[in-house]
Amino acid sequence: MKPLEDIVIVEGLTKTFGSLRAVDEVSFTVKKGEIFGFLGPNGAGKTTTINLLTTLMKPTSGRGLVAGFDIQREPQKVRKRIGVLFQDITLDRELTGWENLWIHGLIYGIPRSVLKRRISELLAFVELEDWARSQVKKYSGGMQRRLQIAAALLHRPEVLFLDEPTLGLDPQTRAHVWDYILELQRNEKVTVFLTTHYMDEAERLCHRTAIIDHGKIIALGSPEELKRALGSDVVYVQLAPESLQETGRIAESLKNCKEFSRVQVVRPGEISVSAVRAAEAIPKIFEEAEGLAVRVREVAYHTPTLEDVFLHLTGRKLRDEEVGGIEAIRIRHRWWR
Amino acid sequence: MVNPASAAYVMWYRQVKRFTRARSRLVGSIVQPIFWIVLLGLGFTSALKGTPVFGGIDYLTFFTPGVIMMAVFFTAFFSGISIIWDREFGFLKEILVAPASRTATLLGRILGDVTIAMLQGVIVLVIAFFMVPSLSLTGVPWVLVAAFFTALQFTGLGITLASKLRSLEGFQLVNMLIAMPIFLLSGAFYPVNALPGPAASAVYLNPLVYGVDLSRTALTGMGFLPLPSALVFLLVSSLFLLAMAVWSFKRTTAE
Repeated sequence: MKPLEDIVIVEGLTKTFGSLRAVDEVSFTVKKGEIFGFLGPNGAGKTTTINLLTTLMKPTSGRGLVAGFDIQREPQKVRKRIGVLFQDITLDRELTGWENLWIHGLIYGIPRSVLKRRISELLAFVELEDWARSQVKKYSGGMQRRLQIAAALLHRPEVLFLDEPTLGLDPQTRAHVWDYILELQRNEKVTVFLTTHYMDEAERLCHRTAIIDHGKIIALGSPEELKRALGSDVVYVQLAPESLQETGRIAESLKNCKEFSRVQVVRPGEISVSAVRAAEAIPKIFEEAEGLAVRVREVAYHTPTLEDVFLHLTGRKLRDEEVGGIEAIRIRHRWWR
Repeated sequence: MVNPASAAYVMWYRQVKRFTRARSRLVGSIVQPIFWIVLLGLGFTSALKGTPVFGGIDYLTFFTPGVIMMAVFFTAFFSGISIIWDREFGFLKEILVAPASRTATLLGRILGDVTIAMLQGVIVLVIAFFMVPSLSLTGVPWVLVAAFFTALQFTGLGITLASKLRSLEGFQLVNMLIAMPIFLLSGAFYPVNALPGPAASAVYLNPLVYGVDLSRTALTGMGFLPLPSALVFLLVSSLFLLAMAVWSFKRTTAE
């Protein structure tokens, strides 16, 4: 086999629910052995894509090949070759960790003697040997995640699908899970397809990332490539006037300066500016603000992240979609006042 | 694809293992029938003493075979419905994404639930012999047959209903609108063939009636249906509900 063979090939994949196009004409390939990420806000179509590729749902149109088999025509062959870590906990909480792995292994047809050895290996890998005989309901969230990773790896899948692998975990456990994923990819040569709405996760883990929004891929490349497209530094400017009109006015005047490759209103009172060098851009921003008699409250800059790339492509922040119901009502209320 | 027999075995193992973990269920399954027999059965027995209403046997003897089937019914029905929990809490996805036949895994699960329900039935049967020594020991094999088919029917019905339920809230409704009438009209409490007019024929639509009647015939000789016809009804209704369960499970998990 060639080392850079495409192990996942997706062409025009589409899934509609009524009038909603959850996944809209998505095409991409994943190379054997790489970690490929889907980065996007909640509701962008990430989980639906995983459900399609893991044969839990049938696509409305389009085609997908996973490990050489068609997801629609040969689902059983695909299932045998993939491991899946779902977003929600799919373990049986009443059973012990060992029993969960035992059931998982048998349902994949692993012979018992091999399975016993494999379970010990994997429990050691995810550092849960001491908990093997405890019921899963006694595990912490991080431990349940680790056990799920072990389960997904039991049958030595060629492709591992991870849906939001660190959702809801504390920072320390997240870092731990990242280490497992990197170690896996390095030592076991497993291809990993993961979805996330954490840009740091995509930056840290993925060789290549597709940015997905409203069911469509809007950018694809290595995190470095994606960020390079933005210019080198991003400056955030907080203005004293918080009206949208005032903010728009200063944004327009900044757009006329050739030093800035991109100017964008983030929200009323906040503008982001891309420039080759922040140190040269900041005095220029103050100069423009003074000219318009607008007071600048705060300036911050950093080298671009995938968050900035997402903002640039969609005009929204990744996290804005996370606003809960009450928060949304509060924001609407504020607008009406 | 994984060998269907081993896929079925895994699910059987899982259901049975889960049951052995839930101590409260086991305790409940012993205590509840004792309550029925003692608190209801003994009360009616003394209240109805000397009244020739149940073909000459006392109320306790009449009622106890029904209690055994009630235990089987509730365990099987609610184990079947509990597939909703698997769906809500994700375990089902784990099964659906595995390279195993869905029919085989479902049948394995059903057999697991049947095993548990029969176990419950046997526990009540043993208790019953201690409390009502007049029951006929030679009827035991028939009680097991009745328990097996009753469990099969109601696990099947539970799974069929579960596939229609989209929320856990619907569960309360099913309990009230389906489980209660089945249970009250099962013939366990009173001879349902004595119900007035059309109600008496409607009773034949209740799948629990046959198991109750068969075990009553076996233990006391006082059933109202001849044994062979009760058996045929049980067999037909079991196959029908089993087919419904497989069909609705495959339908809800197709996409």
